[in-house]
Amino acid sequence: MKVLIVEDEVRLGQFLKQGLSEHAHTANWVQTCRAANDALADTKYDLIVLDLSLPDGDGIELVREWRASGFNEPVLILSARDSLEDRIKGLDVGADDYLPKPFSLEELLARMRALLRRQSVVKQTVLERAGIKLDLLGHTVHVNGDPVDLTAREYALLEIFMQNGGRVLTRTLISEKIWSSHYDVDTNLLDVYMSRLRAKMEGAMGKPLFKTVRGIGYQLL
Amino acid sequence: MRSIGARLTFWYALSATVTLAILFLAGYQLLETRLISGLDQLNAAEFQQLRAHLGSDYARLNSEVMAERVRETSESGAVLFYISIEHPGTSTKFKSRNLRGEDIPDIKGKRAYSATMSGIGALRVDEFLLPPFDVTIATSARSVSDGMREYVKVCAALLVAMLVASLGIGLGLSRLLLRPMRAIRETANRIGSDNLSERIPVSNVRDEVTDLALLLNQMFDRLESAFDQIRRFSDEASHELKTPLSLIRLHAEKMLGDGDLPSAHAEAVLVQIEELARLNQIIDEMLFLSRAEAKAIPFDMKPHDPARFLETFAQDAQALAEHNGRSFACAHKGRGRVAFEERWMRQVLLNVLTNALNVSPEGGVVTLASAIEGGTWRVSVADQGPGLAPDQRLRIFERFVRFNTPASGDRGSGLGLTISKSIIDLHGGRIFAEPADGAGGLKVTFEIPTATTSATLAA
Repeated sequence: MKVLIVEDEVRLGQFLKQGLSEHAHTANWVQTCRAANDALADTKYDLIVLDLSLPDGDGIELVREWRASGFNEPVLILSARDSLEDRIKGLDVGADDYLPKPFSLEELLARMRALLRRQSVVKQTVLERAGIKLDLLGHTVHVNGDPVDLTAREYALLEIFMQNGGRVLTRTLISEKIWSSHYDVDTNLLDVYMSRLRAKMEGAMGKPLFKTVRGIGYQLL
Repeated sequence: MRSIGARLTFWYALSATVTLAILFLAGYQLLETRLISGLDQLNAAEFQQLRAHLGSDYARLNSEVMAERVRETSESGAVLFYISIEHPGTSTKFKSRNLRGEDIPDIKGKRAYSATMSGIGALRVDEFLLPPFDVTIATSARSVSDGMREYVKVCAALLVAMLVASLGIGLGLSRLLLRPMRAIRETANRIGSDNLSERIPVSNVRDEVTDLALLLNQMFDRLESAFDQIRRFSDEASHELKTPLSLIRLHAEKMLGDGDLPSAHAEAVLVQIEELARLNQIIDEMLFLSRAEAKAIPFDMKPHDPARFLETFAQDAQALAEHNGRSFACAHKGRGRVAFEERWMRQVLLNVLTNALNVSPEGGVVTLASAIEGGTWRVSVADQGPGLAPDQRLRIFERFVRFNTPASGDRGSGLGLTISKSIIDLHGGRIFAEPADGAGGLKVTFEIPTATTSATLAA
């Protein structure tokens, strides 16, 4: 997939370009709004990773211009600005996702994949993986054919893992999806629900299903 | 009276009515003088007629002839006028019959005066000289007093009408005058941290009100630039700090991902990643505080039912407490809706709860009590921990102040309660710590007025 990175910080730009290349993406990196517009005029990109604070303008304005001119490729905003108003503003002008700095490469990749999947795949109503069957319509969960009783929060948590296959999910991403806020990360509420979910699921399955990735998050094996 | 409009109306009505009353009083005096001088003229005309009838030889006439001639003067005049002709020093030459033998009252030294006679009533008396006689002619003044009474009645009715009308006019006038003021108030009320660029509309006419509006607009200009500075600082600080943080984290993860680190080194890198997350959290919280203190955080205050809000929160609180081997009890009483920002209020409760769980002994109970009464929503969270000394209780809301931290594990950022306090402040409430009821422990309580609206917040 072809990705355009718009990031004025040299080292971060270089790192991202290399990181994405190592994960089988073709990445081009530019440092200014003008260069971004030039690059988009030249080539078709599948996704744009955009930093908000650029030397010759504001990323939000850039997205607004793109959307106004009918440019519809997914845009993932990368920003140090963490306040909710910026996040909402970014999504309001037509960006597709918003990832606060500092972030992990895993998370950036996961979100990029999610954005591309959103475009292509038809939504499934039953998710199956590793012997777990999750019915999105009936809100039921079966492990090897046996029903497992989950609370609403546990179900929401499992659904996120099922939607994302076997990928590592960061704490930020999970908290955002469940509590629509990542301020809860500092309490260990997420760990609490994870341990409950694990106890129920792994109890039913009889073997470990989740892996804790220290400093980052969790993974459904 | 609290409103300027009411005061304006009152003073306008009062001054209009009093002015009219003074005019009526002056009119009363003028009218009365005018009517009386009319009576004087009547008396004088009667005298002229009388003198003509008496003829030039009147001085030699005896009483009978004189009476005869007077009576000839006019038949009707005999009823209308009271006449007496006297010779000073000697005797009365003539007295009209309608006097019934009485004397017309005399006021010495006055030639025209008003008097009252029993059986006849108010009189206007004029004295004329017909040497050697004194002629006194009087007319009933009842028409004057009747007229004046009518005048007073009409005036009183008009005054009442004036009072009512001027109250109405005053009310309309004060509305009209205060309209620009109301516009100013409404705009000023609307201007909050999220729409600081709005200004009070200023009309082209230069007057006191536009001066005030201009002055307020200048104040809003200064306020906006101060807000902008804080926002810019927050954005710049955020950018400057977080871009290097991103790099450190990305590189640390890369080292781990490459997988050829000795396990001791891998452990060290993991610690770095964890501390990085903590550092990031502290930066976020500090920036939040700096914005909150400048009131530069847009608030989405909506009325919520605290009972339902607490029900959702209790789920998470229960899970957290059980996970830590403590229990959590939650009770709410009172009905009503309170305006607050759900996300921030949840943050406050989580911060307070986390502290309470950290200091609770194994198996301890953390109790949340919530009540709406007397226009206040009060929530307190009590633990069974060691409690705090009075001076410590005052300091726990300061930045980076920690007491009773668990020897192992997470120390927290030390900003949780400071943030909670600033959130409660933004809701117009207060938060404080006191000893828990019963055996030891700490109780942290916050109160939010149920009447809080976004309008009072913005003000």
